[in-house]
Amino acid sequence: MASPPIVEPGKGSGVGNAIYGVLRAIPTGLLWFIVLIWSIPTLGLAVNSFRGRDDQRGSGWWTVFSDEGGSTLDNYETVLTASSTNSILESLANSFAIAIPATIIPIAIAAFAAYAFAWIEFPGRQWLFIATVSLLAVPLQVALIPLLQLYSGGAHLSLPLMEKTVTLIPNFDLAGTGTAVWLTHTGFGLPFAIFLLHNYISGLPKDVFESARIDGADHFTIFWRIVLPLSVPVLAAFAIFQFLWTWNDFLIANTMIGANRDAQPTTIAIANLAGDYGRNEHLLSAGAFVQAFFPLVVFFSLQRYFVRGLLAGSVKG
Amino acid sequence: MKNMWMKMFAALFALALVASACGSDSPVGDAVDAAGDAADDAAETVEDVVDGDDEEEAMEEEEAMEEEEAMEEEEAMEEEAAVVTITGPERDESEAGAIQEVLSAFGEANNIDITYTGDADWEANIDIQVEGNNPPNLSIFPQPGKLADFAREGSVVPLADNVVDGMAWSEAWTVFGNVDGTQFGAPVKADLKSLVWYKPAAFEEKGYAVPGTFDDFLALTGEMIANGDTPLCVGIESGQATGWTYTDWVEDMVLRQHGADVYDAWVAHDIPFNDPQIVESMQTVLDLWATDGMTFSSGGSIAATAFQDNGQPLVDGDCMMHRQASFYSAFIPEGTAFADGTPDAVDVFYFPDIKGDAPVLGAGTLVAAFDDNEATMMVAEFMAGAEYAEGRQRAQTALKGGGLSGFLSAAEGQDQSVYAPLEQSFLAILQNAAIVRFDASDLMPAAVGAGTFWSEGTSAVNGDQDAAAAAEKIEASWP
Repeated sequence: MASPPIVEPGKGSGVGNAIYGVLRAIPTGLLWFIVLIWSIPTLGLAVNSFRGRDDQRGSGWWTVFSDEGGSTLDNYETVLTASSTNSILESLANSFAIAIPATIIPIAIAAFAAYAFAWIEFPGRQWLFIATVSLLAVPLQVALIPLLQLYSGGAHLSLPLMEKTVTLIPNFDLAGTGTAVWLTHTGFGLPFAIFLLHNYISGLPKDVFESARIDGADHFTIFWRIVLPLSVPVLAAFAIFQFLWTWNDFLIANTMIGANRDAQPTTIAIANLAGDYGRNEHLLSAGAFVQAFFPLVVFFSLQRYFVRGLLAGSVKG
Repeated sequence: MKNMWMKMFAALFALALVASACGSDSPVGDAVDAAGDAADDAAETVEDVVDGDDEEEAMEEEEAMEEEEAMEEEEAMEEEAAVVTITGPERDESEAGAIQEVLSAFGEANNIDITYTGDADWEANIDIQVEGNNPPNLSIFPQPGKLADFAREGSVVPLADNVVDGMAWSEAWTVFGNVDGTQFGAPVKADLKSLVWYKPAAFEEKGYAVPGTFDDFLALTGEMIANGDTPLCVGIESGQATGWTYTDWVEDMVLRQHGADVYDAWVAHDIPFNDPQIVESMQTVLDLWATDGMTFSSGGSIAATAFQDNGQPLVDGDCMMHRQASFYSAFIPEGTAFADGTPDAVDVFYFPDIKGDAPVLGAGTLVAAFDDNEATMMVAEFMAGAEYAEGRQRAQTALKGGGLSGFLSAAEGQDQSVYAPLEQSFLAILQNAAIVRFDASDLMPAAVGAGTFWSEGTSAVNGDQDAAAAAEKIEASWP
């Protein structure tokens, strides 16, 4: 009995199907391979965080699979015990005190600003927006020392002819405090936050706003009742970005906090864990995992918004 | 959906508020608590005294006393404004802990609130703090060269007279803090670098004798090689500072072969880096290490072996000797005994000299001040004295849990009994030394001392170039 030689993919058997199957598996296999390569250093770090100092010094982490190297929680205990001088417990509180305001305040300001730039007509709106977004190009590093000088001494202008000094910004004595750190994060986070949120908010359907107007809603009501709830994905995406960036920041904290040990976040505490001549290098892996734990919690609790938020405004209908 | 998010943000915001409130308010809260505690104590005392008297009267009196006492306490708290912060490169649990402990004790007695912060990146950060007008009150400098730079640009202030008079250190050490005739830094710690670590029991077993001269040392290594032993453990890898161990060897050789005057001229750049005498010393070290059977390197090659990894093979008997500074006790595997006569104990001998002038290569730290407040200078004066060294040694030994502390001070007038026997022998070497010279790479400009001297030296150790070529490149990089 003759039947039409139609081969349906996935059904029946034959060389063609086998090849098709193999070919189809290549991208997936490749991806898994990359994932594997990419995770190996982290895996090594994780394994090492459970090994003692002499084990870490004496052999590579991969030897745990063949040898009977004992695992230990000592590293975590040292890093997390409040009485130990190598503890990063106190600095965890400092990290939260920096990362939380530095995440929420830019979001709050940027949401208002983005709405205003997108939906409120006022003269010079385009230019203001361009100026704000241009600030993205200012490299953070060049502003660090001037900012620190501002925090530690304020800004004063001496008028040459009148022999008078005008104080533009008083000395708030912020150098060496966590406030200086999150203020800096807030300032440098705002241009990007406004840019990202503006793209999203300006893409919301115009009809919604017109209907709301007809129903008598003012700008604040529209913002609070319509824009904010609709923008949750982009707000969450930016919150993830900003939290990760501020939580893992070393440079700004190191510059602004300086010698004040009581205000150090975890990044600085961990950098100091290794000790003179790297004597306590074995503690670094445990410290790194404690440090990574909280961003992971934030990421996984918000991650379903992440991709949606990243695509914000990029695909316009 | 909306409600959930509103709640979450509200919760986060509340958390932020709480966190920032905690951050700013806690000192005040502590002070108030402390005042309250003190007042309660006072009240109890009063109660004890008036026990048996008319109760009402006692109560009134008690209340009055309580108020008065509390107010006095608060006033005292306000007076306690003297806060001194100190930074330094030492950040180990035991090192930083010991410094803090001894300073806290001093601070409590003198009503000064002292905080020591150990900084992994001290060299870069002190620049930032000075640039940004946010320096600590005092800082501990590991490099006299850096201190001199700061002194000349006016960032650090000259030490007050009481500090200069209070320095318990000999001229050989205080000179490192003297910049153009003014004392800017006071020594607080010493490291002894001209040391060779070995196992006395292994020497005894094979019939080796501790060498008294450099020729004896060379003869001893030849004897070891002939016997099938490997004389030296050498490994110079140290991350971005790879090569510093080689520079230490070269410095020791310059001191031995050519004397202190050439050494000083070399450091001051009065003679070029590629002066034949310096090249000779560099080549001597290279030739010694390149001798067949001379070195053991657990990492495969000298430049690939971490300097920290030479302690284990020494204890295991893979090599007989390891030339490294006094602080190396921290890298001898845990549980090893030091100079107590047991078979596994390790000991040190003085890296022998050539001309019999017993030169010592040392290093150390100096404390310098960024302001001349009374409290700042009081702390500096204390740190320059023998009492600080004794206290730190005691605290550090306790924190290390016995054994060697890793700390050493050449301050005069210390109670020697706070040091372990091996450490006392370090002190003896320091005190017998007629010539003490500071680690040259710490004195040279950073481009050389923390740059090309290390990198070109490493490449010479790898056999990519000879000493003359390396010295020429280093000379070319001198700013």
